[in-house]
Amino acid sequence: MMSPVAECLIAFVFGSVVGLLVQRSRFCNTAALRDAMLFKTFRNTKALLVAMMVLTIGFTGFISVGAGNPMRFDVGLNQILGLFLFGTGMVLAGACTVSTWVKAGEGNFGAVWALLFTFIGMFLFSLIWSFLYWPPAPSAMTGELSIERLQLGFSNAETLQEKTGIPAIVFGLIQAAVLFYIYQAIRRKETKQQGSSGMESV
Amino acid sequence: MEFFRKTLDPVIALGAIAVLDIFLFLLVGAWTVGGGETMMTGLIAQFFIGDSINQIPFWQEVFKPDAGYWKIYISLGMLFGAIVGAVASKEFFWRFPKRLSEWVMITVGGLLMGIGIRLAFVCNVSTFFGLTPELNLGGYLSMSGIIAGAWFGSLIYKRVLEG
Repeated sequence: MMSPVAECLIAFVFGSVVGLLVQRSRFCNTAALRDAMLFKTFRNTKALLVAMMVLTIGFTGFISVGAGNPMRFDVGLNQILGLFLFGTGMVLAGACTVSTWVKAGEGNFGAVWALLFTFIGMFLFSLIWSFLYWPPAPSAMTGELSIERLQLGFSNAETLQEKTGIPAIVFGLIQAAVLFYIYQAIRRKETKQQGSSGMESV
Repeated sequence: MEFFRKTLDPVIALGAIAVLDIFLFLLVGAWTVGGGETMMTGLIAQFFIGDSINQIPFWQEVFKPDAGYWKIYISLGMLFGAIVGAVASKEFFWRFPKRLSEWVMITVGGLLMGIGIRLAFVCNVSTFFGLTPELNLGGYLSMSGIIAGAWFGSLIYKRVLEG
């Protein structure tokens, strides 16, 4: 068991490296989705897919041998609704959770403003939650399907391995292969785009 | 130093972040931002309203304000790393949104992000860099939500740009 101070220190060092790499690479999760949809450019989308491939293999590999700290909580309709609101918001604000911090670090006051209103939005939701008590608090989660609470329960690579007896890494490799297929399809599309723009210039 | 003069390929940057995230997953848990931001919100609210925060059940049952919550320090680290990168590469300068429409979009966008994170219990980082690689059902639900939301947001964004 690690001490809370050590946990905070590790988190800070990790965050610092991430902040530096994101600042130097100009990666943005918002751009990864928005630019692919609006402008058909995939610079950030490819990076997102590569990270997801590496993480899928890494996480499921360690989960297969009982290592790691996966997230455990019930999921349901609130994930779809919440991330729908979040996705709309990040495109309007022009930054996601990572790029608000990174752009704020570059002196972008718009990002600081977005961060401030993210905090205000969270506080407003805390007031709403205190009336609705939905989605269920972690202490009220059961891990099981609950139609009346619009919850599907809990399922991840660990539970898949337990239920099927197949190591989690097998499912991880399948997911990584799907992500790689999408990555390759984007590469082919880019090559085609470059080819046609080359033809136009000729 | 070359690193601070040229833009880094995001594929290399994100590949490196993914490897580090695997180590973080082994030590404490996968990379996430929304949880730390929520805890910061609780701490800021506690600073302003004091013990009255105890009368809001959310801050008792879901997120009890605690400055020792490790996820807060990921966000503070990202801010620190970005400042170092921006200053070292001479890219730090104050920028302000110029048009009223930008201020409105950022304000509404920020509010929606905050409400969305708390409603879903996850943010975009947990979705793409935590839940989905852990093959968590919540990752797929969140991905469908964020893609639909980004599409809807893009329609509004396009209309504002054209308007």
